[in-house]
Amino acid sequence: MMLPLVMLLKEILGFNDTIYRTVVGLGYMIIYPGLLLVVVIAALMLWAERKIAALVQLRYGPLWVSRRIGGALQGFADLIRFSFQEVIIPRRSDVIPFLLSPGLAILFSMLPIAFIPISPSIHPPVYSDLALLVVIAIISLAPIFIVIMGWASDNKFAFVGSLREALLIVSYEIPLIISIISMAVIYKSLDFYEIVERQYMLPGMILNPFAFIASFIAVLRTTSRFPFEISEAETEIVAGPYTEYSGLMFGLSMGLAYIKLYVYTLILSLIFLGGWLPLQGGEGFLLGFLAPSLVVILKLTLLSLVAVFLRAIYGRYRLDQAIRLGWIYVFGLSIVSLIWSLALVYGGWVRWV
Amino acid sequence: MAASSLAIEEISKELIQTRDLGVTEEGERLVELQIGPTHPGSGHMRIRVWVDGDIIVRCDPDIGFVFRTIEKLSENRIYMKTIPLVERPSLLDTTPMTIGYINALEKLMGIEPPPRAKYLRTILAELTRIASHLYGIGILAIFLGHSTGFMWGFGDRELFVELANQLSGARITYAYVVPGGVRRDMPQSFPDNVEKALRYMERRLKDWYKIFLNNPVIEDRLREVGVLRKNDAVKLGVTGPNLRASGVDFDVRVADPYEAYDELDFMVPVAEEGDAYARTLVRFEEIKQSINIIRDALKKMPSGDIIHPQIARMFNPLMKKIYEETRRVKFPGIFASLKPPKGEATARVEAGRGEALFHIVSDGSPRPYRFRWTTPSYRNVILFKYLVTGHRLADLPAIYGSLDYFPPEADR
Repeated sequence: MMLPLVMLLKEILGFNDTIYRTVVGLGYMIIYPGLLLVVVIAALMLWAERKIAALVQLRYGPLWVSRRIGGALQGFADLIRFSFQEVIIPRRSDVIPFLLSPGLAILFSMLPIAFIPISPSIHPPVYSDLALLVVIAIISLAPIFIVIMGWASDNKFAFVGSLREALLIVSYEIPLIISIISMAVIYKSLDFYEIVERQYMLPGMILNPFAFIASFIAVLRTTSRFPFEISEAETEIVAGPYTEYSGLMFGLSMGLAYIKLYVYTLILSLIFLGGWLPLQGGEGFLLGFLAPSLVVILKLTLLSLVAVFLRAIYGRYRLDQAIRLGWIYVFGLSIVSLIWSLALVYGGWVRWV
Repeated sequence: MAASSLAIEEISKELIQTRDLGVTEEGERLVELQIGPTHPGSGHMRIRVWVDGDIIVRCDPDIGFVFRTIEKLSENRIYMKTIPLVERPSLLDTTPMTIGYINALEKLMGIEPPPRAKYLRTILAELTRIASHLYGIGILAIFLGHSTGFMWGFGDRELFVELANQLSGARITYAYVVPGGVRRDMPQSFPDNVEKALRYMERRLKDWYKIFLNNPVIEDRLREVGVLRKNDAVKLGVTGPNLRASGVDFDVRVADPYEAYDELDFMVPVAEEGDAYARTLVRFEEIKQSINIIRDALKKMPSGDIIHPQIARMFNPLMKKIYEETRRVKFPGIFASLKPPKGEATARVEAGRGEALFHIVSDGSPRPYRFRWTTPSYRNVILFKYLVTGHRLADLPAIYGSLDYFPPEADR
């Protein structure tokens, strides 16, 4: 809503470029596809997760909040409830890290949006031809704050949970980075625009299916989807690193997984699913920005739905089993994907003009 | 390898050592976790666990959190009022418990119920067994994070709770079994409804196997976890499906038949592995066998009285009218001051979780002099100490769930 207005203002008032870019950048980060859209998608994904699980489990799922649309506003209701609940700070906790780490974790998992384009015409606030690398570097900082959360709470269950998180980060972030880098090898680029353009014939998931599978499994782990919901396993360690959090802080910690899911599926849909293709982008706000970005959001929503659907099928792995799976199969798969990419590029099967 | 595979003596020795080590001597390596009583994965009990890294070094189940003095309470109550009392602790598995208590009482009184009443008791007991196993499997599923198994378990259980409602008039605490018979006859539509439910359950079991038992994640979590060897199982006095999963073919329904079990066709499922997976598998197979028992019992159901003629003789005309018209038993006043002759009687039953033993000592007064009751969960709780040691922290819920341990039943 804001962007055409800004464009109009630019025409009429003759905004200089700096102001224009600042306003567009702020809109990009705060409204679309930034914070506001993230919150909306996260809340809807929470609802979809519960509704899909309910469908499999022969029950209704969320129902009473906004009954006419099947309880779709449940996520927002939860958000409001969390916002107005009392925040309890344990006396023995390390107060400053305890209070700061959920916010910082969310900050570092949302910051990559500043580098990720969502349409061919409007650039993200920070345009870089090394965007993919920067994005991976920033988002892999987020789990560190989860470890800090557990450490700062001074609770044994939180401590165990953050240790589990730390072990799992190491065993799944590396395959994730390797498999994404192997895609960069295929595309010979770290620039999202070029990456998307080069998928006009074949999407990345067909070019290198190993990388897609490995990175999808790693994303499942990173966003605590089943069967890797290990660091906050309820029946074992209450809520893992988030045990001592309450009110808005708990809402932030639980929302973190959904925000990460949004950002990771956004990256995956650009790298593997061809981004805004088959739309090429055109003139004006509607064809140049809104329609292609909706295609991207559709793709990332589909990926997220698959991720949340797994809750209905799987239980959770044990910590050692998950680590074994990570180091043997997922890591192996990512190495295979790297070799596959190298073979494709140096064997001459893939040639970019 | 897991310490549970060692002989019990060795484990005990190890336990003593670790107790001395405590938290201090080994330095910071041992962490004590207090799981429960207010913990999402503990139930009504506290489990104290000492972990070295992720490995459980020592586990101490702290029972008694829901101790309700049932035995003492019953000493101050007339015999009839103890029937609902014995249902309360094992709330998911009520009928076998009332059957055991009533059997002991009937032995004291020297009466035996008519055959139709025996069959009705058997059917209700098997319905509760299926419901109880589904509950246990559901709890195991949510302990493993498998929410579909949890919801399915509770959803499918509803069917059998509803059937029990049709038969007895209550969903969970039936108090259906009374001295000399049962409270009411089955309604006309009952056999058809049961058949429908059983067919549905047989269909559902296939889905259950697909999503739960053959689920790769669940298999990984349960196989080779909490292995209970045959010798250890016998030595520790384990009972029920947990015993049969370790390869011991013992079932009170076969070894010491009560009610109509000696006339019915069924098998006792036994598994050899003794791990958590085998225990779960045995429960599923028992559901299948219970389905067979209910079918067979409905087929062989004799007609006739549902209450012992000696009690029917004491009916006043109104009671007699109600009994003949609606087949419901109203208790004659004599029941309020029921005085069994002086003596002792013992009865045992196979409840959903294992063997339950009932012992009544009567001094000829309207209240029992002593009522002793041993529940299967009480006999199985010792397994926490031996099975969990040497496993990982995440295995604790898996073993807990696979034992189908129910704290209120153990505490009584």
